[in-house]
Amino acid sequence: MANIDVGSILKLVENQSKALAEKLFKQYTHQAVSDVRDFLQKSTVNLKRWVEELARGEMDKDEFESLVKGQADVAEMRALKQAGLAAVQIDTFTNGVLDIIVNAAFAAIP
Amino acid sequence: MAEPSRSQLAGKVVPLRNLIAIAACLALAACSLIAPYDRAAYEHATNAKVDTLALMSKATGSYDEHEKEVEALVRQLDKAYEYDRGRQLNKITIAQWDILRDPNRDLVGGFLKMWKAKGTLSSTFIAEKKKQVGDAFDQIIQLESGKLK
Repeated sequence: MANIDVGSILKLVENQSKALAEKLFKQYTHQAVSDVRDFLQKSTVNLKRWVEELARGEMDKDEFESLVKGQADVAEMRALKQAGLAAVQIDTFTNGVLDIIVNAAFAAIP
Repeated sequence: MAEPSRSQLAGKVVPLRNLIAIAACLALAACSLIAPYDRAAYEHATNAKVDTLALMSKATGSYDEHEKEVEALVRQLDKAYEYDRGRQLNKITIAQWDILRDPNRDLVGGFLKMWKAKGTLSSTFIAEKKKQVGDAFDQIIQLESGKLK
């Protein structure tokens, strides 16, 4: 039977998996934070504009309330999207680790 | 009978360990957390967005005059929802559709309910609500396009 160094395969898998995790999750975190920051900025600008439009009589109180509550609904949908994209990242990582293990195992076979 | 030597045992244990590792990997790979990308679902959402925003623009006019169009849009949204509901591992997208369609919340469902109750809506409100509803649809569309292809 061929002499395979299992220890070195595992070390390789560990190192490559760590690098993959750092790359994937760092990228995802950056995107998620930027998305939330962008949403908060837009919401602040929107709210100021709606108050002015309400004051000018361009919309009534019910319409104003609907916009404010609607913004909370969008925030909830945005949070769900982020949760979904996080799940996608985990699936990507799982598939990546599988590839790493298979490649490392094949590379170790003389 | 002589007991197996240390090297003979190692020869048996290492392949067994590899087998377990491979089985674990396969089990891990089989456990996806979320549905893969679906082109039809993506198209349903983008088409529904375009048609919803187009109908919302008509809400300065009487609800009664546009009732048939509203019913057609609600049916279109229901179809998109049912399609997504039939997909495995798709709970998050379903939750997004629930918020968007709910008449007791303040996106598409709430807008249509308000239009029906008031008869007509102000052009300023419609313009603002269209931006908001467009943003809401984008959350469904962006999640779908972010799924693994």
